[in-house]
Amino acid sequence: MFRSRLLGLTKTFARSMATETKAPNLKTFKIYRWSPDTPDEQPKMVEYKVDLDNCGPMVLDAILKIKNEQDSSLTFRRSCREGICGSCAMNIGGKNTLACLCKIDKDTSSETKIYPLPHMYVVRDLVPDLTHFYKQYKSIQPYLQRDTVPEDGKENLQSIEDRKKLDGLYECILCACCSTSCPSYWWNQQEYLGPAVLMQAYRWLIDSRDQASSTRKEMLENSMSLYRCHTIMNCSNTCPKGLNPGRAIAEIKKSMSFA
Amino acid sequence: MLARTQLSSSGLKMMKSQFTRPMAVSSLRRCITTLPQPAGGVIGTVNDAYIAPPASKTHGSLHWTTERLVSVGLVPLTFVPLVTGVEYGIADSILAALLLVHSHIGFGACIADYIPARTYGSLHNYAMYLLSFGGLVSAYGIYEIESREKEGLIGIIKKLWTA
Repeated sequence: MFRSRLLGLTKTFARSMATETKAPNLKTFKIYRWSPDTPDEQPKMVEYKVDLDNCGPMVLDAILKIKNEQDSSLTFRRSCREGICGSCAMNIGGKNTLACLCKIDKDTSSETKIYPLPHMYVVRDLVPDLTHFYKQYKSIQPYLQRDTVPEDGKENLQSIEDRKKLDGLYECILCACCSTSCPSYWWNQQEYLGPAVLMQAYRWLIDSRDQASSTRKEMLENSMSLYRCHTIMNCSNTCPKGLNPGRAIAEIKKSMSFA
Repeated sequence: MLARTQLSSSGLKMMKSQFTRPMAVSSLRRCITTLPQPAGGVIGTVNDAYIAPPASKTHGSLHWTTERLVSVGLVPLTFVPLVTGVEYGIADSILAALLLVHSHIGFGACIADYIPARTYGSLHNYAMYLLSFGGLVSAYGIYEIESREKEGLIGIIKKLWTA
C-alpha cells in the first residue's frame, strides 16, 4: 500500500514537472510604434511575443499584457473592455475593429499586425487624433430639437413603431471604425462627414419627436458633406457592433431625392 | 504638428529621388502644387463644429437624383435595341446623349474625389474645364454620328463588333 502511494506521488510529481516544462504557446504581435518625443524617427513595427496559454482571449488582453510585462511605453486607448465605450478602436489584422471585441487568432504560425485607425493623424503609437471626427459629430447637432413642448409639460411621447425606427442606429458608440475604413473619408475627410456621423444624422432625421428635419437636411445639401458616399460599404463590413451605416446613408439620400 | 514631422522627412526622400526621375515627370511634379492644410485637419478651436459648405440643391440632392435617373434610364435604352432589334432613331440619340451625361457626371465625381479644390486650388478648376471641353467635343461628335451614320451609335458598335 505504501509502495503504491509512493508510486502515485511520483506520478503526480512527474506530471507537474511535465506541465512546468511545457513550451509556451507564443504568438507574435507586430505593433505600430511612433512617438512624438522623437519626431525625426520614422514610425516602425515592433514585434512582441505573448504566451497565449497565459493570456485572455481578446487582442486587448494581449496588448495590456504587453504593456504590463514587456513594454510600458506602448500607448493605446482603452476603457470599458466590453465594446461599449469605443476607445480601443484600431486596425487589427487589416480590419478596423475594437481590440476588446476581437478574438486573438490562435494560429501561432502567423503574426497579428496592429495599426492605429487608418488615414488619421497619429498622436502616439495606436492613438489617433479624433478631434476633427468629433467636430463633425457636433456639426449635425446630435440632440432633440423642437419648436413646441408637450402641453402637459411632461415627456415627448413616441409610438412603439416610431421607437423601433431608431433600433440599429442608437447603438452606435462612435468608435470611428467605419469612418476610417471608408476610402471616400480617406480622400476627403476634411469635408465629407463619413458614415459614423451620417448615421447619427439619420438617427435624428427619422426621430418622430425631432422637428428640425428641414434644417438638418439643408446642412447636407452640398456636394461634399453627404454625397461623397459612393456606397463602397466598407463601413457596414467593418462595424464591430454589427450596425449598417451604409443603409442609413442610402435612406438619407432617398429621403432627399425628390424632396 | 504631429504628422507634419513625418511628412517633412518623407518630403526629403522625395526630393532625393527626384534626380533619378525623367525630366518630364519631375517638371510635371513641380507644376502640381498642393495648398497647405490646417494641422490635424482642425479649423478653429477644438470645440467649434465643422462648418458645411454652403447649401446648394443643384450640387446636392438634385445632382444625385439626376445621376440615378440617367443610370436607370440607360439600362432599357441599352438592352431594348439588342433584344428587339428595333430601328435606330430617336432612341439611339437619347442613348448617346444620356451616355455622355452619365460619363460627365462620373468623371466629375472622380475630380471631386481626387483633385478637390480644398487641396489643389485652381488645378481643380482646370480639371473641370478640361472635362467640360471634353464633354463639348463629345457632344459635337455625337451630333455628327447621329446625323451622318445610318444606324447611329449602335451601328458603330455593331461595326466594331464585326471588325
